[in-house]
Amino acid sequence: MKERAGYLPGISEDEVAWQTVTFTRNEEVLEVAVPVLAQEQMQQLAEQIKNNSRQVLKTLAIGEIVEILDKAVAVFLDRHSPYRRKAEQLLPIVTGYDPEVIRHGLTSFLKTFRKPQLLRFLAEDLGNISLLDDFQPRAKGGFAKAFGPDLIVHVWAGNVPALPLWSLLAGMLVKSGNIGKVASAEPLFAGWFANVLAEVEPRLAGCLAIVWWKGGDEEQERSLLGQGDVVVGYGSNTSLASLRSRIPVTTRFLPYGHKMSFGLVTKDSLDARKAWQTAHAAALDVIRYDQQGCYSPHFFYVQRGGAVSPGEFAKYLAHEMECFARRYPRRALSLEEMAAQAAWRQQEELTLFSTPTKEILGDDARAWTVVYEEGAQITPSCLNRTVKVLAVDQWEEILPQLIPYRPLLQTVGVASAPRELWQIAELLGRAGVTRITSLGKMTSPEAGWHHDGRFNLLDLINMVDIESAAEEYAERLAPYVD
Amino acid sequence: MQQQEIINAILAFISDQEGSAEVFDQLALQIFSYQYKNNLPYQSLCLQKGKTPRTVKKWQDIPAVTINAFKEVTLSCGDPRQAARVFMTSGTTQGVQGKHYHPSLAVYDQSMIHNFKRHFMKDTEKIRMGILFPTAAEMPNSSLAHYLALAVQEFGTQESHYLVDSQGANIDRFMMELAQAEHTGEPYGLLGASFSFVHLLDELARRGKQFSLPKGSRILDTGGFKNRSREIALEEFYHRLEFFLGVPRTACINMYGMTELSTQFYDEGNDILPSVKSGPHWSRTRVVNPLTGAEVPQGERGVLVHCDLANFNSVTTILTEDLGVKVAGGFLLLGRAQGAAAKGCSLAVEEFIESGRGRVK
Amino acid sequence: MVKFQGKVVLVTGASRGIGAAIARAFAAEGAFVIINYLQNELAAARTVAACQELGGDAWAIKGDVMSEGAVTEMIQQVLVEVGKIDVLVNNAFKPYEFDPDKRKLAWQLTWQDFQAQMDGALRSTHGLCQAVLPQMKKRSQGSIINIVSNLVARPIIPYHDYTTAKSAVIGYSRNLAAELGPFGIRVNCVAPGLVYPTESSRHTKEEVKEMIIAQTPLRKIASPEDVAGPVLFLASEWSGFMTGQTLYVDGGFIMK
Repeated sequence: MKERAGYLPGISEDEVAWQTVTFTRNEEVLEVAVPVLAQEQMQQLAEQIKNNSRQVLKTLAIGEIVEILDKAVAVFLDRHSPYRRKAEQLLPIVTGYDPEVIRHGLTSFLKTFRKPQLLRFLAEDLGNISLLDDFQPRAKGGFAKAFGPDLIVHVWAGNVPALPLWSLLAGMLVKSGNIGKVASAEPLFAGWFANVLAEVEPRLAGCLAIVWWKGGDEEQERSLLGQGDVVVGYGSNTSLASLRSRIPVTTRFLPYGHKMSFGLVTKDSLDARKAWQTAHAAALDVIRYDQQGCYSPHFFYVQRGGAVSPGEFAKYLAHEMECFARRYPRRALSLEEMAAQAAWRQQEELTLFSTPTKEILGDDARAWTVVYEEGAQITPSCLNRTVKVLAVDQWEEILPQLIPYRPLLQTVGVASAPRELWQIAELLGRAGVTRITSLGKMTSPEAGWHHDGRFNLLDLINMVDIESAAEEYAERLAPYVD
Repeated sequence: MQQQEIINAILAFISDQEGSAEVFDQLALQIFSYQYKNNLPYQSLCLQKGKTPRTVKKWQDIPAVTINAFKEVTLSCGDPRQAARVFMTSGTTQGVQGKHYHPSLAVYDQSMIHNFKRHFMKDTEKIRMGILFPTAAEMPNSSLAHYLALAVQEFGTQESHYLVDSQGANIDRFMMELAQAEHTGEPYGLLGASFSFVHLLDELARRGKQFSLPKGSRILDTGGFKNRSREIALEEFYHRLEFFLGVPRTACINMYGMTELSTQFYDEGNDILPSVKSGPHWSRTRVVNPLTGAEVPQGERGVLVHCDLANFNSVTTILTEDLGVKVAGGFLLLGRAQGAAAKGCSLAVEEFIESGRGRVK
Repeated sequence: MVKFQGKVVLVTGASRGIGAAIARAFAAEGAFVIINYLQNELAAARTVAACQELGGDAWAIKGDVMSEGAVTEMIQQVLVEVGKIDVLVNNAFKPYEFDPDKRKLAWQLTWQDFQAQMDGALRSTHGLCQAVLPQMKKRSQGSIINIVSNLVARPIIPYHDYTTAKSAVIGYSRNLAAELGPFGIRVNCVAPGLVYPTESSRHTKEEVKEMIIAQTPLRKIASPEDVAGPVLFLASEWSGFMTGQTLYVDGGFIMK
């Protein structure tokens, strides 16, 4: 099979050089042609999108844009649409994830971008969504309007399918032109979405582009990054640092680094009836995208004192992982990834001698690893369905462990009774955690979430104020002034 | 068995030219029992895998230990404080070096000598050597320094020299040595770290100097380039060795060894790349799927596992990070299985470590 | 490829009879079999030798399954020596005289009769299950097979105390299966009919055997080897999705 990645308005296919990235899953082979633009083409594209952003996007009302995005999202939610079918067919090959995981993941993800959710997203950040259309009165006097930039450049990373949609849609909502650079690990979805958008509303066809270049291609990066008003970057701290070094100081840079998330299970959720359900939810968070997401758990803190001990919880979790290994098999690992897994597991096995309370569950033949530990320091998982269960007595114990890693923390999936939820939230907030959700929902952030604790839209826009002084001054100059 | 009995049994097996497969298997299992009993971190790993002297029936069943383990735990049957020598790895994780304890170097030395003679010296008794590596006195914890010292001691003529010191390569000395060899027509052996050869070749290129070493001269490089010199393709490397030193590629031997083992692997020259490497009769190499430990079908890529009976004090069986393919007569080395790049946006271990040191900006 | 290569199987009461036949069958499929026995060291050694000859491996370990302490110690020893237990077959039972003519009638039984059989069947099974559970849970796998009797379904001769205790083992097994399913551990029972020749059936009258044969569609009495097949099946991945079941091995005498 062959598929073209990218979306390049105003440039015909034969004007572009194409490079092939090959993906295989089981017996299926997919060759994805990714565009390699010449520098002038990239410049031209950026100019064109900036123009269209000014002349088209900025003249649309936010209500219209929401309608358009809703229609485009509906295309991908419709399981019979050719795009959705293509996504369901090809994304498993590209990412290696189980088709069912992708199917469920896409639906739950796309649902957060329907009209009501988009409106909530806007309301969350802006309060009054008309701020994007007109100057709105401010309580303290004067008026203000939110202006989106002419061009946002997105540098996406990772293989969690469709993830670029978060920042792309945020860019569209603030009436900005967008150029997104897809990652080689998942180069397709963003391009499909751009195509659908152009079909749904041809006026938007020239307002966004999806491009590719080989990671670390400094020339390409520098030339495009210099064009953007805002750059949104995803990736490891190393790649973000190198990206930042190529961005002019006047350009706003919004880096989204790799994160560490974890689960937290209180003793209330560990009675004879609920322990299994808790383990089931925890396992789901682990197996979805094989822990590749920033919101995926690396470990679970489990409280002692319930009917089911943390050690037993680990064993429930282990069997859930085994069941999911059959229902939604793990992505095929590269030899390098396998070697990393083996090394991680052995490190645990060899320390069994010095830490006799540690338990390593399952055996070498399993497509998962669960390790149970007492009094251990937190360590990151080597991913691909490898988790630790750490026994805890009091939640206060975990704070000192977390604080050194404050900049890395993101999501915590919690299973607790209401009263404790608030106490835990306070504690986690202090440690630097930015999202608290339920166990089982870690990989599905709600619409309007504060990604890494930030404002998705507010960080993109500029507020333009008309101060009351200007208003008063203008009054004096009115032709009808008495 | 006691340590001395184990040592004697291995020494006897190394000297036994026949080296039958049955004896290998038997000895491997005896050493496994010994290590299982006396190397407690290893025992816990074996127990976790359900592999014990009662259930391990052939050398292939012996659990392999990743080379990283030498950094994490003490892998020694004897009291590590009593070790005659400790070899340390050059690579570190979080500043920790891997340590390989040798209660006695008798086995290591015999292993080296037998194998070196067969693959490098061949019919030659002694050869004048130039060593591109610091001395064992300068680097007491380097297994390679010891190896090269042993090579000079056992097989080098009186006139053999070290051409590198702690300050780096002694270029002038090197030029003199080669000129001398050219002049006398006496075969010359140049041995050392691959990266040192790269530096020297660069220097020769810069000076526009070329040598043609006498017939019978030979080269042994080892260790790869390890970020110590610019990475160059093997093809270019051996081409330049031949071009600048006049030693045919068939006489350029690459030794593949590691601190965590007590036996080395050699090829029979590097005119065809990648060259076929093989070990002596007291070692075995398998190409496995690192997760299951199962051997991959011949011709398929996998990770190398070495079972080295000379590793009597730590663990015989090592899971490397080297990718390879099994071929007739040995295996091909295809590079390192290191640095599995993060695929998603979840945190990788390296970044976490950096963060703990407060280096996230 | 043999089916149980690399697997460790513990069979209680395995020196002779059904237990020995089960042990040999596992060994023939490459298993490492732990032969538990109470007294007959010689017989146990013979079974070990037979197992080794069949291509598997075996190791005899003495231990009274009725004693909690002995059981714990035995399992500890096994784990130190072989690292794991994949399959537990609870086959040992308290000696019982199966004599249709001289059996106790319902109104002659005392509670002590019942208690003795409950101890022999249920208590020993419980003790062994408890002892192997921690490591089976840790490895997220395991298969436990409890040997009961087809008399529980049709007491053709009402050995009240014996059959009641075996019925209890079935109830116990089902509950255990329900609790351990979420840990990936399976618990099943095998219920043979009259098995000949064994120590217990040596004195069974020909008349009784004929009566049973006449009512058995396959027209014979089970041999110890006949029992081994279903046990191996329940221990293997072939029955990976079966738990809490009782397989009747009696030539069709019971159909349910």
